[in-house]
Amino acid sequence: MESLLQHFERFSEVLAVSRTTHVRTWDPATVRRALQWARYLRHVHRRFGRHVRIRMALERRLQNQWRLEGGSGSSPVPGLTNFQALERCDLLLSLRLLENRALGDAAYHYLLQELFPGPGVPDADPETLQGSLARLARRRSAVHLLRLSGYGENSVLEEDSVLKTQAELLLARLREVPKAEAEGPSRFLSILWERLPQNNFLRVIAAALLLPPSSPRPQEEELEPGTPKTLADGDQELVRWLLTKSDVMAAFCRNLPAGLLTSVAGRHPELSRVYLGLLADWARHLHYDLQKGIWIGTESQHVPWEELYGKFQSLCQAPPPLKDDVLAALESCKAKDGDFQVRGLSIWTDLLLALGCGS
Amino acid sequence: MAQDSVGFSSDYQFWMQKLSLWDQASTLETQKDTCLHLPRFQEFLRQMYEVLKEMDSNMIIERFPTIGQLLAKTCWNPYILAFDESQKILLWCLCCLINKEPQNSEELKLNSWTRGLLSHVLSAFKFDTKEVGLFIQGLGYAPADYYSGLLKNMVLSLVSELRENHLNGFNTQRRMAPEKIRFLSRVCVPLVTLPDIQPLVEALLTYHGHEPQEVLWPEFFDAVNEAFLLKKISLPTSAVICLWLRHLPSLEKATLHLFEKLISSERNFLRRIECFLKDSLLPEAACYPAIFRIVDEMFRYALLETDGAPEVLAAIQVFTWCFVEALEKQNKQLKFTLKTYFPYASPSLVMVLLQHPKDIPQKLWHQPLKHISEMLREIVEDQTHGSYGGPFECWFLFIHFGGWADIAAEQLVMSEAEPPEALLWLLAFSHSPRDRSQQRAQTMVEVKAVLSHLKKLLRSPTLSARDLQAAAAESQDRDLRPPSCQQLIRHLLLNFLLWAPGGHAIAREVITLMAPTDELSHEIAGFLDQTLYRWDRLCLEAPRSRKLARELLAELHAHIQ
Repeated sequence: MESLLQHFERFSEVLAVSRTTHVRTWDPATVRRALQWARYLRHVHRRFGRHVRIRMALERRLQNQWRLEGGSGSSPVPGLTNFQALERCDLLLSLRLLENRALGDAAYHYLLQELFPGPGVPDADPETLQGSLARLARRRSAVHLLRLSGYGENSVLEEDSVLKTQAELLLARLREVPKAEAEGPSRFLSILWERLPQNNFLRVIAAALLLPPSSPRPQEEELEPGTPKTLADGDQELVRWLLTKSDVMAAFCRNLPAGLLTSVAGRHPELSRVYLGLLADWARHLHYDLQKGIWIGTESQHVPWEELYGKFQSLCQAPPPLKDDVLAALESCKAKDGDFQVRGLSIWTDLLLALGCGS
Repeated sequence: MAQDSVGFSSDYQFWMQKLSLWDQASTLETQKDTCLHLPRFQEFLRQMYEVLKEMDSNMIIERFPTIGQLLAKTCWNPYILAFDESQKILLWCLCCLINKEPQNSEELKLNSWTRGLLSHVLSAFKFDTKEVGLFIQGLGYAPADYYSGLLKNMVLSLVSELRENHLNGFNTQRRMAPEKIRFLSRVCVPLVTLPDIQPLVEALLTYHGHEPQEVLWPEFFDAVNEAFLLKKISLPTSAVICLWLRHLPSLEKATLHLFEKLISSERNFLRRIECFLKDSLLPEAACYPAIFRIVDEMFRYALLETDGAPEVLAAIQVFTWCFVEALEKQNKQLKFTLKTYFPYASPSLVMVLLQHPKDIPQKLWHQPLKHISEMLREIVEDQTHGSYGGPFECWFLFIHFGGWADIAAEQLVMSEAEPPEALLWLLAFSHSPRDRSQQRAQTMVEVKAVLSHLKKLLRSPTLSARDLQAAAAESQDRDLRPPSCQQLIRHLLLNFLLWAPGGHAIAREVITLMAPTDELSHEIAGFLDQTLYRWDRLCLEAPRSRKLARELLAELHAHIQ
């Protein structure tokens, strides 16, 4: 068992190094060793897949990795995140080495011989590296060809697919973050927020929150005793995190299109409450300009009337109970503000009038 | 070897030109051309790999100075990379160019360039925006994870668009344009054998638009059909039927493919024929009259070409069994009148033929037999019934349900009574449809004589092979009988052996006497196999007869082998 864990750690190091220029020092023998280790770990995965105890021991070790690497390494995620990852560790290693220009010619040549033995080799392994790599190339061309047909009218649908895939991957990762520490997922998400392009991240979060409840896992996994059955947990984690991060929530509600936000609010009532609260806050920053006859903000970062109106309009087109909640909130704000019927005195009155729901 | 390399060189030139052509313009024409050539190009790549792997990279450059261009153009062509195993073979070829120990700057450059291409093949068509790439990397995922998920989602969204399209009918806003659907079908041609694409293929096949003409590309149907026949793709039956209904050449190819299988399989194994037939999905598809008519036509053609070969007859019979079975299962969903399947036949005749003997008590079997015989006779002998086709059409219809003829023979042998005229006629007709009435009458007389002799033997306590031989040769010189009549009499004798109490003891001896040649052994084996198959279908209990038949069949097979 100890030797297995040692193997494991050594391989994780190798995996981390395989992306760096350090591989310049590697010779064919090093490559061979690295590939052998990867193959061995794959074999371990196959053999011990059903052995709960060994699996859990390995998983625990892996969780240590998260703690060590998270935040400090180039990626918040260690090379191998869980037991499942062992199944593809040789593919991961091979791809990294193939892309790494720093790898010497002799080592590279050896790598190619190992990865692409040619037609005559009997497939002892049903899933050979050669097959996986070829399939990867084929799938990429498939995506490209399908996209060729999509340009023009349906780029929206295509964009949706990209977002949906990222969302599925995000949720898959969230499932793997060790839950032992309650902070685990939140911390992970915070790190992602700091590091990744934020606009895209926000859209992915929205897509993740809108995925159908029984979203299938991107990689097949057998459910075993001991693994958290967290098919729906991923998006709960997201919601929890959003509720704690007011700056993210503000950016979320500001930058995303109104229709998207309405859908999210419809699915997640806790978020809809915060959303409405934010809208109310933003509304209060506007004042009425008598000369121009419109509501404007004093500073540039204040949300303009048009945007506010657009978001409320979208919310009022949502199905109940969201629609009813929104109207009730607007009415209550209008009442608290003095219950004016005339324009220009209370923003709530004006909003309700503009929405056509004023009484 | 010299010839090979000359051939290869000219191939090389040919493909070099083709690739340049495909490279320059990505028009409809070039795409079409590319798709048509994909399988051949893959073969060429294979050959090239065989040539390259024997040489080192310097030799390669010397021998094929333009190989860099060839490989680069290939790498940049998404259709080629998407097809079957081409990407794998291309990778092998590129590996051959890598130099283990580059000595000079030229070799270094070549290595670097080749590495770039290899990298490109594996990470081709980077379309991701930078943000997406950073996101995936940030999550610690590899492109492999992302692309398999992305492909699945794209396929799902295209499929739902196609389905919605179908449901939304006249809601023109949501409709997918026909050009886009056609483009999708074109793009699927190289991708047909990729499992991830299967839902899209299925959705395209079952898509029914509102355009008057076929919107899918014909090469798409070809590609799907090929892949289906070679078992490289698995599709639900309904999708395959859609394919055949929309594209006639595919149906014809599928039927020919079946015929080839039937010819090359061992003779005399009806159970195996049944497996092949069911596997091919043709009987089920034949529930659609259009498909049935075409397959039937091809069977008819095969029958005429082989001059009534027994294998073809057997195949037609089994096909009809399977077809009727499938039709019964369909029952509620498809309701076509019999006339649509057999337009040239009398409907009442078809109805009687379709009856399953299992549904009728055995002692009443003579009734439908008589009925069939009378109806057929009426059509055949009365020239004015032109609308129901001549004797051949009648006969062709009848042999679909050839089991009836075999039942008639059995009945004649087993019963003690005087053989009914109708049954004699039926037997004579089924073995020899082209006889004139005089010839047929003659046959009937001969058969009657043999039968009466056999009946006497039925009651005799001790039988000998010689007795049986005498029965067969009775009334006329055996050799003057036409071959179809001889065959008929042989079948009667075999029936007798199987059913008569004393038949078992002398069976082997009789058969040895009856079958001096291999051809005749085959015929007898065929008869036994067909009989056993029929008994299975009718759930006939006859343990002694079965046992004997099985043993004889096994012995004959051993002998023929």
